[in-house]
Order: sequence, then structure tokens, then C-alpha cells
Amino acid sequence: MSLIFQALINGLVSGTLLAVPAIGFTAMFAVLRFPNFAVSGMATLGAFAGYLVYGAVGSVVAALVVAFAAAGAVGLFFDKTAHLPLVKQGALPAAIASIASGLVLENLVRLGFGNDPRGYDRPIARDMRLGDLRISPQQLETMGIALVVMLLVFAALGFTRIGKAMRASADNPELAALKGIRPQRVAAMASFVGMGLVGIGGMLLGLDSSIDPLTGTRILLSMFAAAVLGGLGSVPGAVLGAFLIGIAEELSVLVFGSPYRSAVGFFAILIMLSIRPRGLLGERAY
Amino acid sequence: MNRTILRRRTALLTGVAAVAAPSVIRAQGEPIKIATLTPLTGAGGLYGPTMAKAAAAVVEEVNSAGGVLGRKVVLVSEDDQTSPEPAVRAARKLIDVDKVSAIMGTWASAVTTAVAPLCWESKTPLFTVSGADSITLLPHQGYIIRTQPNSQLQVTNLAEFILSLGSKKVFTMITQTPFTQTTIDIMNRVLPKGGATHGSLIYDDKKTTYRTEVDQALRGSPDMIVANGYTPDSVILLKDLYRAGYKGKIVGFAYSLSPKLVDQIGQPEVVEGIYTFAPSPAEGSGAYERVKKASGLAAPDPYTSQVYDHTSMVLMAMAQAKDTTGVAIKDNVRKISQGGGKTVDNAVDGIKAIAAGEKVDYSGASGPCDFDDKGDILSCKFRYEQIKGGKFTLVKIA
Repeated sequence: MSLIFQALINGLVSGTLLAVPAIGFTAMFAVLRFPNFAVSGMATLGAFAGYLVYGAVGSVVAALVVAFAAAGAVGLFFDKTAHLPLVKQGALPAAIASIASGLVLENLVRLGFGNDPRGYDRPIARDMRLGDLRISPQQLETMGIALVVMLLVFAALGFTRIGKAMRASADNPELAALKGIRPQRVAAMASFVGMGLVGIGGMLLGLDSSIDPLTGTRILLSMFAAAVLGGLGSVPGAVLGAFLIGIAEELSVLVFGSPYRSAVGFFAILIMLSIRPRGLLGERAY
Repeated sequence: MNRTILRRRTALLTGVAAVAAPSVIRAQGEPIKIATLTPLTGAGGLYGPTMAKAAAAVVEEVNSAGGVLGRKVVLVSEDDQTSPEPAVRAARKLIDVDKVSAIMGTWASAVTTAVAPLCWESKTPLFTVSGADSITLLPHQGYIIRTQPNSQLQVTNLAEFILSLGSKKVFTMITQTPFTQTTIDIMNRVLPKGGATHGSLIYDDKKTTYRTEVDQALRGSPDMIVANGYTPDSVILLKDLYRAGYKGKIVGFAYSLSPKLVDQIGQPEVVEGIYTFAPSPAEGSGAYERVKKASGLAAPDPYTSQVYDHTSMVLMAMAQAKDTTGVAIKDNVRKISQGGGKTVDNAVDGIKAIAAGEKVDYSGASGPCDFDDKGDILSCKFRYEQIKGGKFTLVKIA
């Protein structure tokens, strides 16, 4: 029994980490209307940018800021130059182009850093125990960071002008444009913030484990599954989806064994798209 | 085009050498030809050149001591490019044009598998350093001799080492590879004989956390974890084991639990006391010292040591058979490599002893060089190290 509770805790932790990039992914979809698979490369980029800054300065906050800014800026660049010009032809060409961008980024990182895994030089501590259950102080910390980032995103969407403009554009682009919201500006903002969040997600993941050029590719499926499960385009949906995928992946280890863990994401996408393609919370952005 | 020019040049040089050589040698008849087929380029390019050099050193020693059966030995070296297709072409040339008596040193398992049928059909013995279990299961009729331990031998040895540490509850955490099931099966067979229990879990090497896997492994409170993955996933796994409060022993293969992994984890207490394990050449043996000299390396790799042994065995088998054909080598290699007699560690001494009518038992740079009927080595040395204060310290070579 304690094994199941432990798996639930582990699932909550990995769900929180997954939620940040999933929010970024779904927010970009809400505004730009194509699934941007360059998130795999961008998460890796964020992880390495954060790694460089953490190595130089030793501050997690500074590293987070740089991870956000670097991934956001590069994400914006790729959207402007490669993806958005294709969106007019439909979501599929843009999505395919974004897969290519992800591969380009992954290999640029490989060119610069090689294939060897690297780790943030963080102290590894024994877990805290509560009876049979355990949780690590580092995980609590990364979980805390992830929660703060999520709160900031929700606050920004709820209370700032640009947040409101993004929600309006996502809900109804034509109406928003009529109201004087400039779609170009909102799209740029969505690219920057969305990819920035993905960069933070990659870095948070790296803080806890290790980073290499495939870091982002490893979470791509879970991230996509979380967004689809919650409803592509829905920010609260992405959070809910991330928790569900995180928990389901951990429980699946107990039920089916570790090798089938990756199947959970595929399975969730399959079920959701066949039963309720809108996702759990529908498409409403907020 | 380059190769053609080179070949022509080689042919010319050989011709010139033959004319220039003292009449004594010419009178002794045709030279004996043997070949190396090593990866001079491609993924194995790090090893192939020194492997060929080790073979050349043996040939040179033997030639300067009078050759084999009074004949001079010529070594032909070809590049398998670490790729089956060029390897097959090179092997065809060695067999059909050069008519070599034996081919030595194929490295990649895919290359060995591709070249093997050519060898057994032409009755040319193939000496290999490839590790895949499937190779010696081919219908090779005795024409394959392998000096690299297969996974059977490696895992059996590891299991015995675990037992020697007094571990009672062993748990293997292993990624999905072609060797996974064999590894688990062998552990399940060997460990209970020594009074230990064994559990196992196959994990996905592409995940960012193994907390739940670790929980599962620790459920039966093991006192020994076998961490059998690649470096990136082992980093995460070892961190998660430490966080979970695991204080028992850990052992793993040296190719994944490497100095790179220690750097990566960056915190000595996480990896403190971990045992690593790898096939080892017979360090300290006379043959290994010769390989050092021949290769110019301070610590020659196992493959170079193995090719040194291949060449020595081929030449000694010819001396034993008083015949230089592939069939003779195949039929006589076990007569000089095992079964007791005078222990020799190099071809020159071996050939002398054989000429004097003595029974010899070769023990080389890579190990004892004793083979079963399938062509697999029966035993070899393994190197065990332990991480202490972030440094790898030698436990034993056994």
C-alpha cells in the first residue's frame, strides 16, 4: 500500500515539473494554432543555458531567468522565420517544420557540448522520511519553483493587459483584432513566453537529474500527452493533464513494469482523441 | 584507386625483397601467409591499428628466430572499416587472392558474423575479438576461435564476485539490451547456488527519474544492487538510490560506471564504495609485457592483447601440425593452447618447444586462452575496482 502512496507522491512531483513546459506548449497552441514540437530542442536549450549560468554564477534564480530568456528568444526567432510563415498553409506544415527546428537545436547543442551527460553541481541529499513515505528536499525545492512559475503565469494571464490580450486572441482572434488587439504582438508574446516556460521546464528537469542533447526529447511525449489530455490550448487543462500523466506513469511502473512507462503517454493520447478529442477541460484558454 | 596503387607498390616491394633476400630464405620455399582483418577505420578505428601492430610484432619475432617449419611468415593487413560490407570484400581478397591460412582480429560482432561464412566455407580459421553470444553458435565447424569473453562468461564471473562479497539479497536493475535476458537468467541460476536470492527489474533508459523503480527494487531490502545500464541513466539511477537512503553495495560494468559518471554525479559519497568490473588482459604476464613493447602503449587494451595471442596461437598450431593449412590450424589450436604441458607465453618459445617434441600450453596476454568446443574461451581475467573518495582503486584482477 505504501508503495502506491509513494508512487502517487513521485507522480505529483514529476507532474509538477511536467506542468511548466506543458503550459508553455498549450499556450503557444492556443494563440498560434499549431503544435510546436520544437519544444524538445527548446527544453534542451533552456537546460544548457541554465547550466552555463548556474556554473558561472551559482544562482538558481539567475539560471532560471536566463533559461527562460534564451529559450524564449530562440523560440521567437524560429517561430518568426520558420513556423509562422507556414501556418497559413495549415497547422500540419508548421508542425512538421517545428519538428525539424527541434532537431536542428538538439544537434546545435550536441555540436557545442557533445553527447556526454552533464549535471548541475547541486548537493545530492538523502530523502526526508515520513513513515514509509519519502520525498527529497531537492524535489520539494524544484516543485516549489515550478509552482511559483505557474502562479506567475496564471497571475499574468488573469491580471495583466498582455495576458488578457492573449486570452482574448486565443478565444476569438477576429474579435480580438476588432477590439484593437494587435495579433502580431500577441503572437510574438505567446512564442516568447511559451518557449521560455519550456526552457524553464527543461532546466528544472536538469536540476533534478542530468542534461544531455536528448533531455527535451525525453519529455516531449509526456508534455504533448499532458496538453492533449487537458485539452490543447487550455492552460489549466495542461496542469491537470501533467499531474495525471505524471501519476499514471509512476503507477504504470507498479502495474506493468518500467519498460512500459513510455506507453502511458501514447495510450493517454489515443484514448483522449478517440473519446473526447477536446480534452478534459475543453479548449478554453483559461 | 589509391588502394590499387598501394597494392601494386606492395607487390613490387615484395618482388624486390624476394630478389634481394639471401638465397637461403628463397631456398626455404614459399612464405606462409596469415592475415589481420581489423578496424583500421570506422568506430573501431581506435583499436584496429594497434591490433595489427601487435600481430606484426609476433610475426617479426618468429621470423627473426627462423620462421615456422623453416619458412618465413608474411602478414597481410586489411581494413574491415568496422562495417560488414567492406569487411566481406577484404576477406574475399585475403582468402582468394592472398590465400592466407588464417584471418585474425575481426572486432565488431556484425563484421565477424558477415565474414564467418566465407571463412568456414574456405576452411580458413577466423580468430575474433567480438563479444556477441550468437557468433560461436553459427555452424562454423570449428573454424571460429574467440578470445573475447561472451556475456555468459562475463555475467557468471560477476555473479561469483557478488557471492564472494557475501551478498545475500541481490537485485539487478538493467536496461533493455540484447544481453538483458541472458544476464537475468545467469544471475537467477548462479546466485541461488551460493545461497543468495536474486530479483530483477528491466528499466527504460530514457527516463528522467527512477524513483518508483528504486522503490520497487528496495522493497525486498537488497544488500547488493547490480546497476547494469548506460552512463546517462546510471547517473540518475545512482542518485535516486542514494536519495532513497540505500546503504548496501552496488556493482556495475566499468564501461558505464566510469570516471565520467563520477564527475557527472560530482558528489563522492553518492558513488562511494561502488564496485566496477571489466574483462581484463593478463596484466603482469610476460606476454602482456611484450604487447606493451610491441604496441608502444602503457596499458594495451584487451583487443590488442587478444590479437597478439591469435597470432602466436596460429603460428604455434602450424608448428604443431607440421602443416600450414587452415584445416591443420583448426585441428591443432587446442593442442597448443590447453591441456597441460610446458607453459609458454610467446610463439618463439612455443615453436622451439614443439620442435623439441614437447607438449605446450599457451597462456597469453589476454588470458589462459583455453577454448571449449564452440570456440569460446573458458576463462579470462576480470578487473574489479572500487570507487573510494571519488577515485577508482584496484580490488583485484582475477
